[in-house]
Amino acid sequence: MKPKVAFFDFAGCEGCQLAVLNCEDVLLDILGLVDIVEFREAISETAPRFDVAFIEGSIHREEDVERLRGIRARSTYLVALGACACIGNVQARSNFIAPAENFKRVYGEVDRNQAQTDPEFWPLWAHTRVRAVKEIVPVDFELRGCPMVPAEFVHLVKALVSGSIPHFPANAVCVECKANENECAFDRGETCMGQITYGGCGAICVTNGYRCDGCRGVLPHANLAAHRQLLREKGLSDALIQNRYRLFCSAEPLGQEIRR
Amino acid sequence: MSTFLIRKDAVPDWIQRLARENAVYFPQRAGQSGFRFEPVQEGSEIQFEQYHPTIVPPGKKLAPAGEVLFQYRREGEDAVVEPVVDASFRILAGVRPCDLKGIDLMDQANREGCADPHYLTRRANTAIIAYDCLTPCDKACFCDATGSLRCRKGADIFLTPVDEDVLVEPLSERGLALLAGANFPICGNVEARKAKAEGGRAKPFGRQFKAPLQQIPGIVAKQWHSPVWEKHVQQCFSCGSCNLVCPTCYCFNVQDDFDLTNTSAGQRSRTWDGCMLPNFAEVAGGHNFRSHPADRQRHRVKRKFEYLTKRFEEGSFCTGCGRCGRQCTAGIDIFDIVNDLVDNTEATS
Amino acid sequence: MNVTASASDTTLDKNLYLPRMATILAVEEMTAREKFFRVELSQPLGHRPGQFVMLSRLGIGEAPISVSCGPRDDTILEMVVRNAGSLTQVFHGLQPGQKVGVRGPFGSGFDLADLYDKDIVFIAGGLGLAPLRSLIQPVLAQPDRFGTVTIISGCRTPAEELYRADLQSWSHKVKVIRLVDKTANLPWDGQVGLVTAPIAQLDLDPGRTVVALCGPPVMYKFVLMELDARRIPHSQIFVDLERRMKCGVGKCGHCQINHVYCCQEGPVYRFDHIEHLPEALQ
Repeated sequence: MKPKVAFFDFAGCEGCQLAVLNCEDVLLDILGLVDIVEFREAISETAPRFDVAFIEGSIHREEDVERLRGIRARSTYLVALGACACIGNVQARSNFIAPAENFKRVYGEVDRNQAQTDPEFWPLWAHTRVRAVKEIVPVDFELRGCPMVPAEFVHLVKALVSGSIPHFPANAVCVECKANENECAFDRGETCMGQITYGGCGAICVTNGYRCDGCRGVLPHANLAAHRQLLREKGLSDALIQNRYRLFCSAEPLGQEIRR
Repeated sequence: MSTFLIRKDAVPDWIQRLARENAVYFPQRAGQSGFRFEPVQEGSEIQFEQYHPTIVPPGKKLAPAGEVLFQYRREGEDAVVEPVVDASFRILAGVRPCDLKGIDLMDQANREGCADPHYLTRRANTAIIAYDCLTPCDKACFCDATGSLRCRKGADIFLTPVDEDVLVEPLSERGLALLAGANFPICGNVEARKAKAEGGRAKPFGRQFKAPLQQIPGIVAKQWHSPVWEKHVQQCFSCGSCNLVCPTCYCFNVQDDFDLTNTSAGQRSRTWDGCMLPNFAEVAGGHNFRSHPADRQRHRVKRKFEYLTKRFEEGSFCTGCGRCGRQCTAGIDIFDIVNDLVDNTEATS
Repeated sequence: MNVTASASDTTLDKNLYLPRMATILAVEEMTAREKFFRVELSQPLGHRPGQFVMLSRLGIGEAPISVSCGPRDDTILEMVVRNAGSLTQVFHGLQPGQKVGVRGPFGSGFDLADLYDKDIVFIAGGLGLAPLRSLIQPVLAQPDRFGTVTIISGCRTPAEELYRADLQSWSHKVKVIRLVDKTANLPWDGQVGLVTAPIAQLDLDPGRTVVALCGPPVMYKFVLMELDARRIPHSQIFVDLERRMKCGVGKCGHCQINHVYCCQEGPVYRFDHIEHLPEALQ
């Protein structure tokens, strides 16, 4: 029996599901190994139970919480797919701004004032915080990154169909920078979050000449005090450091810690 | 074997000629300040003056990250297992004495006990053209302190700059063969030229330990509960960079994988691992024998200056290339750690 | 069985990373976590007690597993596999007739000759009985060559006891003390307590007693304290240590304890050789 696999999207850009579809060289092979029963990006079908549910997107509204709990109850394994589901991603920056203020920034004051009188928008003001999936239901595996990494997705599928457990080492991005013989971003005068961020991405950003902004989340053993001190020594203001940490990790302890 | 003398500007042509018929790796600029051993191509820059140690050492070409150990094909439950051993010929050119030392130590470690066929086959098919250092590469290097500066072992050809010339000294039959057809003029007064080069060598050459090298293993061995370990992990990220760029770090992890298209076929490969990474010493069931960064720092330093020196009767398993300190964004330098251990011994004795 | 390792251009005649394929003859559920495997190799393993093999399932991975049977002339290899991770979970799903890869044997192991004419005390905690069985079997097979034999085997609950039938059959020949930390409301015909408890009661002659010890890291400290109280010289205590291993041949670095490699000089150590090695036992 091929495992039944379903994809669900919450608040996110659906880019991770697209990244799955973009695994063109292996997608047909994967479809030979698993049975996809729900996938809004590709097909439409519903099933009562799944072996693996992939959750894309962060969780905002109470109705999303209920929907997520329902999916968890119907799934043997639940996988957080991508940075939104794993760590809240960029939208969690709104955790530090009142919803009404946020609405004003995006749509202007006139629209905001109008929306505040419209009952259709009221649920929006009730939403208080962007949350990662793990804050609401137990997550079995995390496919980190913005977007998720196809090689890790393939590794997870292989492990699940062969009865083993996928393994994602909790090592820094630096490990892959060294394997790629990258010049360290700091040696280019950049400031980088690679030392405190989960690797597994192949250090793709640094390899291509950029820096790591930490989209895969903060390592459990991260030496945050040392990292902050290093960024200060490199001339970053505390406000800039806060921005840097909050970019992807606002829902994570790192993003929140700086607020204290 | 005869020693030859050529003009400095003849060296790039010679390397280029070798590269037309062989895979030749030479340190080339990578990014703004780094160097990498990369294949020499038409137009590659071949120069020796502006150099500091490559991001990873040339020895890593002999144990590349992710190398496949074997491939398998299952037919039913039967399996055909075929080793993947790379026996292609390559030349590492522009290797400095510290990295010669690193390769020599890797050779010993891979030869010891059960010989590692993957490494040793590559090594047997790798020729090395080394280049002497008359001035320290930068402030981070301390190759003289670890006894690597005068390493010649393992080189097939050794190049020594003397004024505007270069002494070309074949040290093996293979080196001699690589020089066949080059028609380099034989140097008449080799010893005088060498003495001249030696006279121009910087003194002292780079940083020096506070104690003679022979005493360092004993000093390191005496310190287990030392405040030095804790001091040098305050800023540590446990990112493993120091391990991964080290010419004598050869720890690895092994993993299996199968093909998606034909799930009955696959491979086993190994990839670089490092004892500074948090889970390196974890066993099944979750117990971690070195859970604190200071435990891991102590293990790394003792491995370089105590454990492996004892095992292989070598003066130092650190080559003094300075890569770990140069690459550490936290500014942790094994040279400083050793000197602190020296100070700490004197303070406590 | 059809395994071909094609001769390549390697200058070395033997590739230490190539597994030999072995056929699973029997799989038995011992406890909720442990399964017993009997596999058939293409040639005798030729191991010493206390050695280990690298056991693999092609495409999934490889792990060190203690040999659990005494040296034998035939091609049989017995092991206990605890379901403790990705790979061992796959092993637990295997059936007779399926094949596994085996490399080894590796490690130092016990030298039976060191134990001739000695009184031997085996102390096993949990899964530690699996490797010790590889020594218990040959010792009990030649009772004339050894003195008094005592086997102390402890585990957490009756449901976690390994090799119950073996322990019962050994108890007809030698003194066997079976313990559990707690009965957990299950039927139990042994003692309740820790493996350290019976040591004080044993009739031991420190001059001629050898102790073989294997169990979880937490057990060693307390057992060694008890053995000190009984004045057993440390040169007569052998401990079997556990480390993560990726190669089995002293290359991958994972099992390094100071200057020694657990897979080479160990996993069985004479205690006086490692007692001053920090990190060895905790």
